[in-house]
Amino acid sequence: MPNRESLVAWMIGLTLIVPVCSVATAEVDFSREVRPILSNNCFQCHGPDENARTSELRLDTEEGAFADLGGHFAIVAGDLEAGTLLKRVTTEDADQRMPPPDSDYKQLTPEEVDTLRRWIAEGARWEAHWAFVPPVRPNVPDVSDSEWPVNEIDHFTLVKMREHGFGPSPEASKETLIRRVTLDLTGLPPTVAEVEDFLSDDSPDAYETLVDRLLRSPRYGEHMTRYWLDVARYGDTHGLHLDNKRSIWKYRDWLIDAFNDNKPFDQMTVEQIAGDLLPDPDVMQVVATGFNRCNVSTSEGGSIAEECYVRNTVDRVETFSTVYLGLTTGCAVCHDHKFDPLTQREFYGLFAYFNSFDENPLDGNAELHPPIIEVPSAEQTARKEELNAQLAAVKQEIDQTYDSLEYSDPQSDADESSFERKDFIWIDDAVPAGANQQQTGHPWEFVKAPEPVYSGETSTKRTAEGLAQHFFTGATSPLVIGEGDTLFAYVYLDAEIPPKQIMLQFNDGEWEHRAYWGENVIPWGEDGQPSRKRFGDLPAVGEWVRLEVPVAEVGLSPGSQLNGWAFTQHDGTVYWDTAGITTRTPQEGQSFESQRLWELAAGEGKGLPKAVQEALKVTPGERSDEQQRVLRRHFLKNVFPGSREMIQPIAARQDEVQKQLDALNGEIPKTMVAKELAEPKASYFLKRGEYDNRGDEVPRILPAVLPPLPEGAPTNRLGLARWLVDPSHPLTTRVAINRWWQRYFGTGIVKTAEDFGVQGERPSHPELLDWMATEFIRTRWDVKALQKLIVMSATYRQTSQAPTDQWRQDPANRWLARGPRFRMDAEMLRDQALFVSGLLVEKLGGPSVKPYQPLGLWKAVGYTDSNTANFSQDDGEKLYRRSMYTFWKRTSPPPSMATFDAPSREACTVRRARTNTPLQALVLMNDKQYVEASRLFAQRIMNEGGESLDEQLSWAYRTVTSRVPSKQELQVLKQVYSQQLASYESDSDGATALIDSATTLLNPQHLDREKSNDPQLAAMTLLANMLLNLDETVTKG
Amino acid sequence: MNLYREHQLLQTRRHFFGRTATGIGGAALASLINPHLFAATPSTISQQPSAPRGGILGETHFPAKAKRVIYLFMSGAPSQMDLFDYKPKMDELFDTDLPESIRQGQRLTTMTSGQERFPIAPTKFKFAQHGESGAWVSELLPHTASIADDVCFIKSLHTEAINHDPAITYIQTGAQIPGRPSLGAWLSYGLGSMNDDLPNFVVLHSTWTGRKSAQALYERLWGTGWLPSQHAGVSLRSQGDPVLFLSNPPGVTGQSRRQMLDALAELNEKQYEEFGDPEINTRIQQYEMAYRMQTSVPELMDFSDESKETLEMYGPEVSTPGTFSANCLLARRLAERNVQFVQIFIRGWDQHGNLPNDITGQCRDVDQGGAALVKDLKQRGLLDDTLVIWGGEFGRTVYCQGKLTRENYGRDHHPRCFTMWMAGGGIKPGITYGATDEFSYNVTENPVHIHDLNATILNQLGIDHKRLTYRFQGRDFRLTDVHGNVVRDILV
Repeated sequence: MPNRESLVAWMIGLTLIVPVCSVATAEVDFSREVRPILSNNCFQCHGPDENARTSELRLDTEEGAFADLGGHFAIVAGDLEAGTLLKRVTTEDADQRMPPPDSDYKQLTPEEVDTLRRWIAEGARWEAHWAFVPPVRPNVPDVSDSEWPVNEIDHFTLVKMREHGFGPSPEASKETLIRRVTLDLTGLPPTVAEVEDFLSDDSPDAYETLVDRLLRSPRYGEHMTRYWLDVARYGDTHGLHLDNKRSIWKYRDWLIDAFNDNKPFDQMTVEQIAGDLLPDPDVMQVVATGFNRCNVSTSEGGSIAEECYVRNTVDRVETFSTVYLGLTTGCAVCHDHKFDPLTQREFYGLFAYFNSFDENPLDGNAELHPPIIEVPSAEQTARKEELNAQLAAVKQEIDQTYDSLEYSDPQSDADESSFERKDFIWIDDAVPAGANQQQTGHPWEFVKAPEPVYSGETSTKRTAEGLAQHFFTGATSPLVIGEGDTLFAYVYLDAEIPPKQIMLQFNDGEWEHRAYWGENVIPWGEDGQPSRKRFGDLPAVGEWVRLEVPVAEVGLSPGSQLNGWAFTQHDGTVYWDTAGITTRTPQEGQSFESQRLWELAAGEGKGLPKAVQEALKVTPGERSDEQQRVLRRHFLKNVFPGSREMIQPIAARQDEVQKQLDALNGEIPKTMVAKELAEPKASYFLKRGEYDNRGDEVPRILPAVLPPLPEGAPTNRLGLARWLVDPSHPLTTRVAINRWWQRYFGTGIVKTAEDFGVQGERPSHPELLDWMATEFIRTRWDVKALQKLIVMSATYRQTSQAPTDQWRQDPANRWLARGPRFRMDAEMLRDQALFVSGLLVEKLGGPSVKPYQPLGLWKAVGYTDSNTANFSQDDGEKLYRRSMYTFWKRTSPPPSMATFDAPSREACTVRRARTNTPLQALVLMNDKQYVEASRLFAQRIMNEGGESLDEQLSWAYRTVTSRVPSKQELQVLKQVYSQQLASYESDSDGATALIDSATTLLNPQHLDREKSNDPQLAAMTLLANMLLNLDETVTKG
Repeated sequence: MNLYREHQLLQTRRHFFGRTATGIGGAALASLINPHLFAATPSTISQQPSAPRGGILGETHFPAKAKRVIYLFMSGAPSQMDLFDYKPKMDELFDTDLPESIRQGQRLTTMTSGQERFPIAPTKFKFAQHGESGAWVSELLPHTASIADDVCFIKSLHTEAINHDPAITYIQTGAQIPGRPSLGAWLSYGLGSMNDDLPNFVVLHSTWTGRKSAQALYERLWGTGWLPSQHAGVSLRSQGDPVLFLSNPPGVTGQSRRQMLDALAELNEKQYEEFGDPEINTRIQQYEMAYRMQTSVPELMDFSDESKETLEMYGPEVSTPGTFSANCLLARRLAERNVQFVQIFIRGWDQHGNLPNDITGQCRDVDQGGAALVKDLKQRGLLDDTLVIWGGEFGRTVYCQGKLTRENYGRDHHPRCFTMWMAGGGIKPGITYGATDEFSYNVTENPVHIHDLNATILNQLGIDHKRLTYRFQGRDFRLTDVHGNVVRDILV
C-alpha cells in the first residue's frame, strides 16, 4: 500500500542490505533473506503448484530443494560448485538461464545472487516458514540496564530499537496520553472534565485507573466491534444486484456484548463459526453465527443457483482464512497455491466444512434470507409466553363451547332445489361495519318518520343542486356477488323537487360499476358500458320504488365482493332506504338454520378460510373427520343463529390475542444465522475453480501444513472452530493479536495483516508477537487483558514527537521508538464531532440508522426496483448515533465514511488504507453533519466555555485536543474569531443563514439562541468548524 | 524488494489526483504571507497535456497514443443485432428455432433456460451502409452512422459472465466478484494525474428513457478495491453539489473560508514544527486543493462559454443537466482540462421484452451526444490523443425471450458476442473488426475477449498490461488477471 508503511518497507530493505554489503560476516537468515528470493522468483514454476511445475525441482520445501534430480542437485549445502541453482541463475546461456529471459519474471539482482551464494556456502540451513510453526514462549530479553520498560512488551521493543540505532522517546504528556488511550479504547475523546481529573490524579497508578475505567465503558465494546465489522464484512444490504436490505444487526449487537462482557476470544471464535452446532446452543450463540452469513449474495434474475452456491462458499472460506489464519486461501480456488503449501484439493477440503448450510444460495432479495432466528428481549419473551397462555385458554374455552353445543341439521338432505334467492339486506338503518362514510355535499343525513321511511327507523335524505351523493367504502363484511344475482335499493323521489338523474355505484375495489335512471348528466364512466348503464326513466315520485340492477349488467362477476356503495343524484330531493342483494350466496352475517343448505349456498366458499374451502370441495360423504369438524365449527361460529352469538365474542377475544401475538412477533428482532444441513453436501474438486467443472469428491480435510483436528473434535464446522482455538494452532492467536496491535500502532507487527504466508512480510518483532500469543493463551484468551497489556506498555505511552531524522529513518514507526500518530478512521472522526458538539446519542445496539447524506446517491446506482434505490434519511436521535450504526448499503456506502477509506464491506477487510485527500477536507468543512456539529459545538463553547472569549476559546481547543492552547495558538483563534465576527456583524443575514442551515427542529437545544446573537454564534461556528478540521483533532497523536 | 517501486508508492501517497506535495509546508506558509497566492484560480484549458505525474510507473512503458479516455458505458447490454451486427438472413428465419448447432449447449440464464423454444427474432430495424468504410449501422443511430469513418467497430467482443452484476464487475475490474480495482483506478494508480484542480477519474451518470426498470450500478465499478482509495472515480453529479460537499455552507463566503484555511494552516504548521510528522504538511496541501476545487468545478460545469454551434451539435437535451448529451459535452470539457479518465454510465439497455420500443428511446438518448462528442473532439484536435469507447457488458440473444411477433420481441443476455466501438487515441478509424456467424451468436473471426479489450485500452495509454501490477495478499495482481492480448490489428 502506498502509505506510510511503504517507506518503512523500504527502510527495512535498506537495513537488510546494508549488513550484506558492509558486514559480510553476518550469517544469512534463510527466512528473512533467502526464502523471499525463492518465493518471488522461483515458486511460480518450482513451488507448491503441482500443475505449474515443469520440472521435478521444487524449491518451496526442504526435501524438494535438496532432492536428487537424477544424478544432480539444485543445492548442495556448503558446496557452491556442486549444485545447479547458482549456475542457472547466472549463466549467460539464454536457454539455461533462470528465470527464463523471455518470461514475465524478472532476473535476479547481483545482490540476490550473492545472498544465495553466501547462504549455500554457509551450509544452506533450511527453516520452516515461521508462521506455520507454533509459537514457543520466548524468554523476555534482559534489558536490566534500562529503567524504561514497564511491562514485557517494552523489553522486546527496546532490544529492536537498539538494534536499529534508536532509543525510546519520553512518555507523552498526560493530556496526550488520556486522549490517545481514550480514543483507542472507546473511539471517543475524553471530556475536559475527564482530562482535569486525570491531571489532578497524582497517584502512581493514575494511568492504570484510567485504563481500567475505559475498559469498563460500554463504548469499549462498540469500538472493538467497529473494527470487527470490516473483518466480518458486515453490511445492511445483500451487496449484489438489487442490493436489497438485509437484517443481521443482531449479530453486531452480539459482538458489542461479547467484547463488553469480555467473552474469551476462543469462545467468541467458536460461537461465530459454529455456535449453531454447539450442544444445545442458546439463542445468542446462534446469533453469533451471523458471521457466516455476512457474505454478499444475489438473487439476480437468470442466476444459476449452483454457481452462486460455489461463490458464497468460496467467500466464506476466504473470509475464514483471512480472519483467522491470515492466509490467502483464495489463491487455491483455481490451482494449487503458488507460494504457500496449500493445494487446490486442500482448498476444497476446507470448502467442504462450509458447504452444507441449510440455505438457498439465492437470497430471494429478502431482508431475512433464511435461516433466521428470533431474538426476543426478556420482556418480549415474557409477553409472548403470556399471550400464548391466553391464546391457549381462549381456544380451550371455544372448544368447550363447541363441545357443549348440540346441533342436528333440519335439512341434512337438502339439495340445489331446496333454496331460492333471497334478499340480503346490506344497508338499512346503518351502513355495514367498517364502512367509511363520505359524501359530495352535506354529510350523511338519516331521517325518521314522518319523513318517508321504507323500513326500520330511518332512511337517508339528500337535497342537491347539481351533482351530490353519499357513499362509503371499506366495509369489512363485503357483499359477495353470486351468479345471476340482483342488487337492489329502495328510493323515494320527492314529488315537489324531483332529481334529474339518480345513480347507484358499486365499489369492488374500484367504482367502475354504475346504474342510473333518468337523464344522462352525470359524466362518470362510459355511457352504455357497465361503468355507466341506464336502467330506465326516473321512477314514480312520491312513493317508495324498488330499483333493481342485475350484477352482470354493471360488470360484476360472481365471486367479486363489494366494499362500497354510492347513492348519487343530480338536483332534487331523494330518500334512500334498504339496499342489498337478491342472492343465494351466503353473506357474511347471514343466518342459515341448515348446515347443508348453507354448504350448498356457499358453493366453492370464495372468501371463506382456506380450510373451509378445501372441505367444501369434498363430497359430504367423503369428508374426513377434520374436514367435518372445520365445516361444523365454521357454521356454528358464523352462520347458525342458535350458536354464533355464543361463540363470536369468544372468537373475537381469540382474534384480539392473536393480533397482539402477531404484532409482538413482528416486533421481535430476527437475524440471519447459520444452520447446518442434516446430511452434509458432497464437496468436489472444481477444476479451474469452475462451478460446473467437477472433479473428484473431496472430504473435509485440513491443509497438511497445519495441525490436524484435535482429538475427538467432530469433522464439521464445530470441529474446525475448536481446531482454530487449540493452543497448538500456530496462526489464530498471532493473527488476532497482530490486528489489535495494528489498530494501536497503525501497522501490525506483521505489516501484511491479511497474509502470514511466505509472501507476507516477516514480523518486525517476531519474539514479541510469539510472547503475546502465548500470553494470550496463558490468560485464557482474555481480550481486555491483552488490550490493557498493550496500552500499559511504555512503548505505547511514548510521545509521538520526534526529530525529523527519526521520521525520515522510520516514517511508519516500525521500530516503535516513538508513540503512534496517525489520522483517525472515518467513524471516529464523525463520532468525535458529534461528541464534542453534545449531539451524540449514546444507545447501545439496535438496528442501523440513516443519518445525513446528500440526496440522489442511492438512486444514481440502485436497481430501480430495489428497496434501497431511494435513500430516506432518518430523523431525531437516529441522526446522531455512533457511526458504527450507520446503515451500510454496500453498493453505495455512506459517502462521508468512504471518503475516509472505510471499505464497502463487500469483502473481508483487515487493513484499511489511510489516505489524505482534498475530498476529506470538503467533508469536514461542508458536510451538513459537521456543519451542524460545528454550530452546536459553538453553542457549547459560548455556554460552557467560560465568561471571557479567551476562556471560551481555550476551552474549545481543549475539548478537541485535550490540551490548553499556547499563547500563540490562542492568538490565532482570537484572530480568526474576530475576523469572522466583524464580517458577520456587517452581514447578519449571512450569519442567520449559516445558523439556520445547521439548525434542525429535531432537538430543542438547537433553537437556543439566548446567550448569543447570530453574528457571534456564526463566527464561533466557523471557528468550531476550523477546530474540527485541525490536524491535531483528526489525528490520534 | 523493489526499492524504486516502494519509493514510488510512498510518493503516491503524497498525491491527490497524483499531485506532488513535496514542498513541505511551503505552500501554506506562502498563503499566509500572501493570501492571494492561493486564491482559487480557474482550471486551465490546455490541449497540450503535461505528462501525468505521481503514478507508480513514473513514466509509461512505451509512448502513449492516448492521453485520456472517455468511456461511454451502456449498462444493461445493448442488442448488437439491432444496432450494428447486421444479419439479414434472420428475416427469413423468423420464428424458426435456433439450430442446436449454433447454440452448442451453451449455458443460458435461468430466465430463458426453461423456455420450450428458442425462436429467431430478426431485428425489425432497417440497416444501411455508411461512410467510405461502408459500415452497417441501424436506422436507430443516424448520428452514430455519420461518424462511421472515425470509428472502429469491434463485433467480436465476448465474455463469460451471463448476468449483469458479475458481467459489469468483470468488464470494469477484470473479475466477476467484487473486490478488485476498476480500470480507471488502475490508470490513476499507474499514471498519476495531468490535472491539478480536478479529479483524475470522473464518473457521470445519465438519465435514460429505455427500459424503466434499469439494472443497478455499483460504486465498485469505479472503486479501488485494495488500491488506495484516492484512485477511486469521483462522481460529478447533476444534482446538488457536483462534487460531494463542495459548496461552503450557506452564509460562509469564500473570504471567510480563506481566512479559516489560513488560520488552520498556521495552527497545523505549528503542529508540524512540534511533531515533525510529514503527514501534517500533506494535509495542509490537501486543504488548499480542496479550496481550488471549489472554483474549478463550478467553472467546469458552466456551459455558458460554449458556442451555439457546439450546443446544437449535441442536441437540445444538452441543456438539461444529467442527460447523456449534457454528460458528453461535460466529458469534452473534462478532456480539455486533461482529466485522464471519464466514464459516462447510461442505464436502461436491459431489454428482455418490448425491445423495439425501449431501444428506440434509449438510442435517442445516446445517439446524438455520443456522435457529437467524437466530432467535437476531432474539431478541436483532441481526438488524436483521446480514446472514446462505446459499449456494454455483454450482448443479447438472437432468439426471442417471451412473446415473439414481427413487431415486438425481447432478448436475453448473450455473452458469446457483442459489439463495441472505439474512436481516436490511436485506434484505426473506419474499420470493422471481428465477425460473428449469421445468427450473431458465435464469434467466427478475430475474437476479442474483454481482457483483450482492457489490455488494448491500457496499451493505448502507454501501459503494458502485464507490467502494471499491485501486490496484495502476496500476489501481483493486474487488471487483466493472467489473460489479455493487445488487439494490435486495430491500432494505427
